Amino acid sequence: MPTNLASGAEYDTVGQKRWVWPGFALPGVVWLCLLFIVPFYAIFAVAMGRIDPILSRPVPEWNPVYWDPTVFARVFGDLFGGQLSGIAMRTIGYVFVASALCVIIGYPVAYFVSRKAGRYRWLWLLLILAPFWINYLMRMMSWVNLLSPDGQVNQALGSFGMASFPDWLAGHHFVVILGLVYGYIPFFILPLFAALDRIDDATLEASRDLGANNLQTFWRVTWPLSRNGVLGGLVIIMLPMFGDYYTPNLLSGSPRTRMLGNTIDQFINQTTSQGAIGAALTIVLMAFVAGLMIYYLVTINRATEEARS
Amino acid sequence: MAYHPRENWNPSRRRRIYTRRDFLQRAAVLGIAIPAFPSILAACADRGAGEGAALAIGTPSSPVQQPLFDDNQAIESGLEPETGPLRIYNWADYLSPDIIPVASEALGVEIEITTFFNEEEAISRLSSGEVSYDLWFPTSQRVAVAVAGQLIQPINHDYIPNLSTNVWPQLADPYYDQGSRYTVPYVTYSTGIAWRNDMADSGDIEGQENPWDVFWNPKYSGQLGLYDSFTDTIALALLRNGVTDPSQATEAELDAAGDALVELIDLVGVRYTIDGAYVGIPEGRFALHHAWSGDLVNSQYYWPEDGDYTVTRYLWPASAEGSTSAAPISSDTMAIPINAERPVLAHQFMNFLLDETNSLDNFGWVGYQPPQNSLTPDYLIENEWVADFLRPALVTPEDFERDNAWVQGPLDAETEALWSDQWTRATSGA
Repeated sequence: MPTNLASGAEYDTVGQKRWVWPGFALPGVVWLCLLFIVPFYAIFAVAMGRIDPILSRPVPEWNPVYWDPTVFARVFGDLFGGQLSGIAMRTIGYVFVASALCVIIGYPVAYFVSRKAGRYRWLWLLLILAPFWINYLMRMMSWVNLLSPDGQVNQALGSFGMASFPDWLAGHHFVVILGLVYGYIPFFILPLFAALDRIDDATLEASRDLGANNLQTFWRVTWPLSRNGVLGGLVIIMLPMFGDYYTPNLLSGSPRTRMLGNTIDQFINQTTSQGAIGAALTIVLMAFVAGLMIYYLVTINRATEEARS
Repeated sequence: MAYHPRENWNPSRRRRIYTRRDFLQRAAVLGIAIPAFPSILAACADRGAGEGAALAIGTPSSPVQQPLFDDNQAIESGLEPETGPLRIYNWADYLSPDIIPVASEALGVEIEITTFFNEEEAISRLSSGEVSYDLWFPTSQRVAVAVAGQLIQPINHDYIPNLSTNVWPQLADPYYDQGSRYTVPYVTYSTGIAWRNDMADSGDIEGQENPWDVFWNPKYSGQLGLYDSFTDTIALALLRNGVTDPSQATEAELDAAGDALVELIDLVGVRYTIDGAYVGIPEGRFALHHAWSGDLVNSQYYWPEDGDYTVTRYLWPASAEGSTSAAPISSDTMAIPINAERPVLAHQFMNFLLDETNSLDNFGWVGYQPPQNSLTPDYLIENEWVADFLRPALVTPEDFERDNAWVQGPLDAETEALWSDQWTRATSGA
């Protein structure tokens, strides 16, 4: 990156005081501190705090000097080879399968809307997003009604002459995964739509002029140019999926389909004294998810550098 | 709008009520509420080991008196009521919306209700001291903790004449708080088995020596559910294994209970829900479900238009014929937080809810039964508040004294860790 501070330390290239532009970031920084760093610190304080002797509840320990990290040893033991390893693997599996389905389903949709829908594209976009003006929880509850044994899905199957009906809500992996896909896919489509929309038609025409067929054009021009949109969409949907617990709760309830979010919820909301374990699990999950986020940022950064050079 | 049982009694008028209330109940259960962050911050307590104060935990066979403290006195008699609003801190949907305007008029003040979605949240906020409510609804098993932690203040019986005249003697002077020093009873319930006799064979439950064992019957694979509540469900497994006092379960017994629950995953494809008893059974998602008696009384309002409510059945193993199993019974209470700003109004509201008519109206919406002398099972059934086939879901004062009735106490942190471990095993589905 060129460092062109010709007029000295006080002013930047366009002659503004150096603090002006960073100053615009201030509200965001304050916001981040209040709503992320402080709560995050509180989670640490609970994880490594004590238990109130009378009320049996966790008491956060605000002074790091007194932090007791033994809970992390326990949580790592549980997650790697212990009683939570199955649930951790399942959570990762669900999120990856659901994300892959989002790509398979969402990419063609985003592609169609951004490049083929012509002047009706905004209408298409609106139609895709309209159901998502309704709260996630409400939509999942409607699925419970649709999929229950005497629900509308089975009634429809019955009208096609099917005699015996599957019990959709009896604890199937695919129902939970489809619930996740349904719940999060618009948040994948939207950033991807924006990325595809930005691709200059001239680059595609150039590709064809140079003799590439449609498939080659897609593979060598469109896909590379939209890859960061896919990655961005994936990050947006994968992060909340890892913490999701109401989808498996509502659409299954079976121990076979529990996710890590359910376990955290259990330690924090069901027990009195075990909140520290829930807090530690939250931190470990956040660290894992942060790993994905860092991968994304590194990739984006590299792409930006390449584009510049 | 409320659902008076009689409004819905006529099957032709019954309709599916799938409303805000249902949404709220599910949402509450899912913990959608955001825990109050300031309460975490405010909970900075003194560091240091600190000895746990001895909790006075009573059972029907060994009742206890809660200790009084010099710096925590009941209000004087004969005080004028404060000006409103009366602030009530309660579970979601645990007071009839119809009764609030009536109470408001009777007391001459506005009433504000704030809800919590679990008792941990409530205790956490009350102990932070940063909130002030005038009336709170703790479960009876938490009364000892609330007294020792000085969360609630003693009550003055002069303001609550209905306590001695209307309430079952067993709960007007209850085992968990002899002399009702800190609490008055609100509602009572048992925990048992709910089923549909069109989907499950009643003979598999009724007349059985160990009715709990029906949840391990592969015949009902994919059709049965237990509560997603670890204290209830670990207790169920212990009771099924023949333990009569789950509070005293040994580690080996807890291990066996955990094993039994793990076995359910493949044996019957068990599902854990919180609405299975009152919504899942009417919807046909479950043939049988672990059930609090009050949920079952409520379930009548959740049947679809063309459903037949009369197939619902409930059994409480501690009173069932032929059964030797123990089963849980409990009650909830009303108490006044130590920093209440309007304690006189709170006393008056307690007395209001202990009135026969008011408690009956409230029951009609809440579904959980008030321990009122006049509201006997016979009365409730004759007057069509509860259907005859749900008689076992009604609690009587004598039920608390049955040999096999088990009342749950609070778990100390060590014991809770053991229970919670078994629950993690049972629900991980590994």
